Amino acid sequence: MSISDIYREEIIDHAKNPRNYGKLTDYDFEHKESNPVCGDTISFQMKLDEQKKVKAIAFEGNGCTVSQASTSLLFESVIGKTIEEINKLSSGDVLQLLGVESLTPARMKCALLSLSALKKATKQ
Amino acid sequence: MLDITNVKSDFPILNQKMNGQRLVYLDNAATTQKPKKVIETITEYYEKYNANTHRGIYQLSEKATALYEDSREKARAFIGAEKTQEIIFTRGTTESINLVAYSWGRKNIEAGDEILLTEMEHHSNIVPWQLLAKEKGAVLKYIPVDKNGKLNLDNIDQYFTKKTKLVALIHVSNVLGIVNPVKEIITKAHANGVLVLLDGAQSTPHMPINVKELDCDFFAFSGHKMLGPTGVGVLYVKEGILEEIPPFLSGGNMIREVTLVETIFEDLPMRFEAGTMPIAQVIGFGAAIDYLKLIGMENIWQHEQELVNYALAKIRAISGVTVYGPEEVVERSGVVSFSIEGIHPHDIASILDEAGVAIRAGHHCAQPLLRALGTEATVRASFYIYNDQKDVDQLVEAINQSIRTLR
Repeated sequence: MSISDIYREEIIDHAKNPRNYGKLTDYDFEHKESNPVCGDTISFQMKLDEQKKVKAIAFEGNGCTVSQASTSLLFESVIGKTIEEINKLSSGDVLQLLGVESLTPARMKCALLSLSALKKATKQ
Repeated sequence: MLDITNVKSDFPILNQKMNGQRLVYLDNAATTQKPKKVIETITEYYEKYNANTHRGIYQLSEKATALYEDSREKARAFIGAEKTQEIIFTRGTTESINLVAYSWGRKNIEAGDEILLTEMEHHSNIVPWQLLAKEKGAVLKYIPVDKNGKLNLDNIDQYFTKKTKLVALIHVSNVLGIVNPVKEIITKAHANGVLVLLDGAQSTPHMPINVKELDCDFFAFSGHKMLGPTGVGVLYVKEGILEEIPPFLSGGNMIREVTLVETIFEDLPMRFEAGTMPIAQVIGFGAAIDYLKLIGMENIWQHEQELVNYALAKIRAISGVTVYGPEEVVERSGVVSFSIEGIHPHDIASILDEAGVAIRAGHHCAQPLLRALGTEATVRASFYIYNDQKDVDQLVEAINQSIRTLR
């Protein structure tokens, strides 16, 4: 497997046209997370419905393809999930969304920025 | 004399493939590779002379001590210091600067005093001063950097007040390779009675250094950025400045006499070398200096000039590329920082890695400088003696590949 596997059309599309991009004014959770190594940042808000499931999520961010595409993919996937379900998400789930088996340690940090942000927000 | 166009084979690590490609190592501003001679010197020490220095009354220890002190003498001569006791071994540039901040700073900086830095500094020449300033109630001031990465020295007098106690600045930028006009700043500082610390981590490996001519008061640099092993750095301190200063780290090796209530400290430079030092590494560092001298620092500077100008022309010609730093030809070491419109530096780094090209992407431990340049991250290629035009060509081909993949 090579790094080029991650730079597929679908991933580049998610990085260039991230889903759920923007800001929510009405939200239950909010968090900002950054990767000091490369300066990747994301900030997001999340709103739950009456069944305590994610109703809406929105983020803004800057960074590499891996960090931004993984955020777009991960956040898209959590809509309809409960907080318990979100807390059970693992790095393996993010890699699966990205369609790769593994990444180099440095790039894993980019890939997991959104998961870390999500978990920190829900634990507060 | 060693011919610089023929040194690559002296570096075992470079004789390998990376992802099936010729390995092109262009992260020399972070650390350099080691020639066989340095590796062999360290091995030889462990196989023949390993013993603790300065205290043993037996031949191994005496030999280890002599080799350790030889390295100090080599370091002295290499930077043109007058006296051997002006050379203190540390763990690296970061520790050298911390030593000055903790020992000299704590004794000499008071509430309201000003320390003058620049926006171009590596974090290692910002954070120790921030901690000191916080502890003492001192004030940090910064000489600003313009969008082209040049220090604003138009009206240099404005930066000095009666409260200014120290100027600490980077000699050569680790991000841009720009050589700062340190002579001018040192002269101005001294005219105001202010001491100057130079961060020489990126200058010492690449150009002839003479601390007497520079007339700086403190000069810090790292061995691993100039072919030596990690774990060794140097702090040069002009004689007379440290005599009355309390030690930095304390314990064994740096004492004359210890009783239960007080301690008489060793003379300089031993007073600032507590505990067992990285003996093998200091000796290996001496071998690195010998190797550099065989090539000649003037030749190294010249080689890098040719390479960086070749690289600048090739990289600037790629569409969508921004090269940071002045457009005109300036004194610049072998560093090129750039970005490509619409592609994050980390993605470029990953594609380059696959093409066997090791570069660095990120903020290069100089976030204030990157902000001044109007960016968060750059791609940085940095050259050294073993790099050649073929390496630059492979870099440029890989950049084009990353554009094809990502844009």
